[in-house]
Amino acid sequence: MSESIDLGLGILDHQLLDKDGRRCGNVDDLAIEGGPGEPAEVVAILVGPDVWRGRAGWIGRVAAWVAGGERVRVPWSEVAEVTAHVRLKKTAPEYGLGRLDDRLRPYLEKIPGANR
Amino acid sequence: MNKIFGVALGILAAIGGFVDIGDLVFNVAAGATFGYQLLWVVVVGVVGIITYSEMCGRVSAVSQKAVFDAVRERVGFKAGLITLIAAEIVNAMTLTAEVGGVAICLQLLSGLPYRVLIVLAAIALAIVVWVVNFDWIERIFGYGGLCLLVFAVAAVKLHPDWGAVGHGFVPHVDTGNKLLYAYFAVGLLGAAMTPYEVYFYSSGAVEEGWTVKDLGLNRLNAIVGYGLGGILSFALMIVGGALFLGKGIDPETLGSIAMGAQVPLGEIGLILALVGILFAVAGASIDTLFSGAYDLAQFCGFEWGRHKSPAGAPRFTLTWIVLLILAMLAVMTGVDAVKLTEFAVIFSVVALPLTYLPILLVANDKAYMKEYANGRLANTLGIFYFVIILIVALTAIPLMILTNLGQG
Repeated sequence: MSESIDLGLGILDHQLLDKDGRRCGNVDDLAIEGGPGEPAEVVAILVGPDVWRGRAGWIGRVAAWVAGGERVRVPWSEVAEVTAHVRLKKTAPEYGLGRLDDRLRPYLEKIPGANR
Repeated sequence: MNKIFGVALGILAAIGGFVDIGDLVFNVAAGATFGYQLLWVVVVGVVGIITYSEMCGRVSAVSQKAVFDAVRERVGFKAGLITLIAAEIVNAMTLTAEVGGVAICLQLLSGLPYRVLIVLAAIALAIVVWVVNFDWIERIFGYGGLCLLVFAVAAVKLHPDWGAVGHGFVPHVDTGNKLLYAYFAVGLLGAAMTPYEVYFYSSGAVEEGWTVKDLGLNRLNAIVGYGLGGILSFALMIVGGALFLGKGIDPETLGSIAMGAQVPLGEIGLILALVGILFAVAGASIDTLFSGAYDLAQFCGFEWGRHKSPAGAPRFTLTWIVLLILAMLAVMTGVDAVKLTEFAVIFSVVALPLTYLPILLVANDKAYMKEYANGRLANTLGIFYFVIILIVALTAIPLMILTNLGQG
């Protein structure tokens, strides 16, 4: 990861993929650390509707409320690769990502043909 | 040879799948009101959708991003969220109109009560989407929609004044009611450049794993599929003009649109027209269902795909199920599907700039697109159309109010 990346255009709001290529959220925000005078460093990716609260005024707060505000923090060290998407090193459940899909799947599977 | 055959079949399906309820309503109504005068606007609209579909397909092939990914990344979270909300509202209106159209066609074909058919239509759509592989959905509804070619035959049989038809392809305004003319021009552009089509098209390109090797296929698909689909729009307007103009008839139901084939061709014309409309609006219902689910999934980042099994993308599946139920309930209120279509098209025009600007920006971005960024032709057309879209978006609602929804 020595190449420089434009955080605003190259990471923020991009698709997250887990190690198996499963879509498991977007980069909803970045956690950046570093005091005055120190170099700023990205320490984590923040994922989930709860993060939207701070990003679009009242519309963001309403959207976060509607979507049921979850927030997951993925350490930056877990990023395997940044291409068109941001690929993580492990599977989604190991970070607590994609939980709603995993919770919903058993219900859909009760209907015949759900796994055609 | 097999490949050519496959492409030909795909193009046939694209022609059959081009027309949706918005095209049906606006083309026939424009013909009934202004004869062939507005044919040139259809050409402008078709070139517009070709331009932007080609761009979307290229962006997807090069960057593996569907339109809504690009929207959020490029215009930012807040503008992206507003675009999402606008797109979902317009999409839900369009879906409701298409589902209503399915029920109306079933009613005209079977004579059963309308409300029963609304429920049957929704259940049938749900089962088809749940059970049938998307390749087959595309073929079934695309080929079924080809029955609409009966309108091309009808257009010829009605012996229109071909000189006047030819003159219609030259932009001109020959009416005292310029506002109404402008309203129909806006509606025809909106119907041809409906945003759900590009969401759907680009998502498919990502899903089917297009790469730069598929750019030729992308161009062919966009130009030939939409271009030939446009012929159906011409036919609808010519039929509307030849049959209804000056007779004081406003074709405000799907039944009267189907009459356009019945008058010159008799019973068989009517049945083919109704079957064609049925498949076209049912296919468009499925496309809009998926589009609504794609937009939300891509904005939120969850798993999506029309080629995945329902359990393979759970929230995506839940989204289209909820959208279908909402549309069914909305149709049940007795809302007039044709009136709703006009609203849906006009409101979609307002949301167009929010959809097409990010596409234009991404297609121009050399960091993403490298040597596949927009060339001079794509940019000239892209910017030209963006200006048109802006003008049209700003004038759509005032025109709708001033003309009382095209009533003059």
